[in-house]
Amino acid sequence: MNSIIIDGMSFTLPLFIMAIGGIYSERSGITNLALEGLQGMGAFIGALAAYIAVNCFGMPQGSAYYLAFLFAIIGGAVYAMLHALLCIRFKANQVISGVVINLLATSLTVFLTKSINKAAFGAASNKIDLGVSARYTVPGISNIPVLGAFFTDVYPFELIIVAAAFLAWFVMYRTPYGLHLRACGDNPHAADAAGLDVARIRFTAVMVSGALSGIAGMSFAYSIFAKFSGDLYVGYGFLSIAALIFGSWTILPTLGACMIFGFARSAGYQLVQMAGLPSAYSDLIMILPYVLTLILLMFFSKNNQSPRALGEVYDKARR
Amino acid sequence: MKKHSGSAWKYLRISGISLLLGLLIGAAVIAVLGKNPFTAYYNLLQGCGFLEKEKYAGGRSQLSDLSSFIDYLTPMILAALSVAVAMKAGLFNIGISGQMLTAAFTATVLVGYSPLPAGIAKPLVLLIGAAAGGAAGALIGYLKYKFNINEVVSSIMLNYIVEYIVSFFIVTRFVDPISRQSRPVSDASRLTLSEIKISGIKYDIPLGFIVAVAASLLLAFILDKTVLGYDLKAVGANRRASGYAGIHVSKNILTAMLISGILAGLAGVTYYMGYVATIEPKTLSDVGFNAIAVSILGNNSPGGIFLASIVIQIIDKGATYMSSQQTLEVEIASVITSVILLSSACGLFYGEIGEKLRNARTAARKQHRGKEAAQ
Repeated sequence: MNSIIIDGMSFTLPLFIMAIGGIYSERSGITNLALEGLQGMGAFIGALAAYIAVNCFGMPQGSAYYLAFLFAIIGGAVYAMLHALLCIRFKANQVISGVVINLLATSLTVFLTKSINKAAFGAASNKIDLGVSARYTVPGISNIPVLGAFFTDVYPFELIIVAAAFLAWFVMYRTPYGLHLRACGDNPHAADAAGLDVARIRFTAVMVSGALSGIAGMSFAYSIFAKFSGDLYVGYGFLSIAALIFGSWTILPTLGACMIFGFARSAGYQLVQMAGLPSAYSDLIMILPYVLTLILLMFFSKNNQSPRALGEVYDKARR
Repeated sequence: MKKHSGSAWKYLRISGISLLLGLLIGAAVIAVLGKNPFTAYYNLLQGCGFLEKEKYAGGRSQLSDLSSFIDYLTPMILAALSVAVAMKAGLFNIGISGQMLTAAFTATVLVGYSPLPAGIAKPLVLLIGAAAGGAAGALIGYLKYKFNINEVVSSIMLNYIVEYIVSFFIVTRFVDPISRQSRPVSDASRLTLSEIKISGIKYDIPLGFIVAVAASLLLAFILDKTVLGYDLKAVGANRRASGYAGIHVSKNILTAMLISGILAGLAGVTYYMGYVATIEPKTLSDVGFNAIAVSILGNNSPGGIFLASIVIQIIDKGATYMSSQQTLEVEIASVITSVILLSSACGLFYGEIGEKLRNARTAARKQHRGKEAAQ
């Protein structure tokens, strides 16, 4: 039971923070299929920064870890500017832009990883090794049955994510900026008439989605994969898009959707292990979260409403 | 009609500019890496059999390279058509890879491992592939119109579900112990006549290419000349307005996804039972995702898709030969492709610039004329 919660949370939280990023972008009116590429680019920049800091400047692993996250946030946000630029300034089709941003991120990061490894470190390798991050247990609280598992073997990034998620929720629902952002996604014409700079708000929202996706990508790189490589692009970005649509573009229900993915996944693995089944059966168990999602969606999709101006190019001249 | 062909020209121009821009940026990157971009691009064409290589391995020639290229091209055309049909109806089918796998796995198990003779097996593979793919596509359409489930979510979920189920059955029942992939299908059922020897030279003859050409023509006809095509496009352009105009919106959503699924299914069998003969467990092919980009570059029109597939697949397939000749990483090819696509995504913006330039020119002319009149 405990390990279901421990593993479940370490998968749920990165997914959740990426989904929040998606919510920011989409609530401002910019369709964001680029999450997959944004998290990969963030993880690549972060991993590279940590690797250089450790191997060239002798920084201890512990501080390099936080440096990696800092650079992942910056890398994700800067790369997201490309999506923002295309969608807002160049009026590109947002779905197309998202797909291409993913394609570019995948090819560019793998290409750069190989080239940098060859040129700078003299080794033909297609990955940047990071190792799995250390885990911490909160003494005292962790002894409480069931609930204590949430405080056992916690990755430091889970703390970063919880803090970032809370901040993101606060900004979205409790500040003027959040209100303006949501207005831009529902009725940009009215928002513009009220004196808001729609383009700027959307631009920053897309950058936020990049920054948060960067955190997610870095978390996956430090937990499941223990490295940066092309393997990182397994579709978790798309999974978080599914979660945010399931959560109807609101933050708290999206957390629920992410928890379904996270816990069904870890429970499935646990089940296969406990029953002593051959590992092939874990494939069968792995479909559980997705089947469950589809069934739940059948009941809860009736009122599922996307932001009204989602995906529309905002043209001031047409007001 | 005249207006239509005009916009096709405009699009071709935009795609041309994008292509040029992508190739230029790619050339700059290659030059920075200290290689000659012209030789590199020459290698791309050599790798696909469009230009002659310096030397060939035994039993191969330029024509056999070209035949393998067409073999590689076939599934991409079909998959991109699949994207386009859905896109025309305003739907985003991101589940093509899953539908391809569904179709290919069904056909592999039912026909690929059977002793049926080629004359029965090959048509049956196409039929089963189309049926299974169509069913998978229609399911997404059904979930959309019955339960209002966003097609992006349901197709992503189905991608995962299919991937894991197929992987389970391959690993437990149909695995080849050495390659760790599914056992290869029988030659009789395979849609590519692999390594056929004609006067000492080996060719890969893709029978599926005929299907791809036929599908392109048929789809162009349906979209441009039939009521069904008109309804699909109307629903895609404005769902609510076409509902008021008396078009059955949900029926059209279902139909669009059915056709999209059928095409994806055909792409699946031409890929897994043509280009290759096995299925790798726990992986979805890239074809389904890259097809989205190809369809976009081809402006979602069958003719455009045909050209776009050729361009993108030349870069993709030629990259292997280029990287071996130039010691460049293979991924440089995808980088070039992405830049081409990025640039073509800004088509609307180019159009605007063009319009501005034209307006400025006419304004200047008017001013000039005004001055002349005053004199």
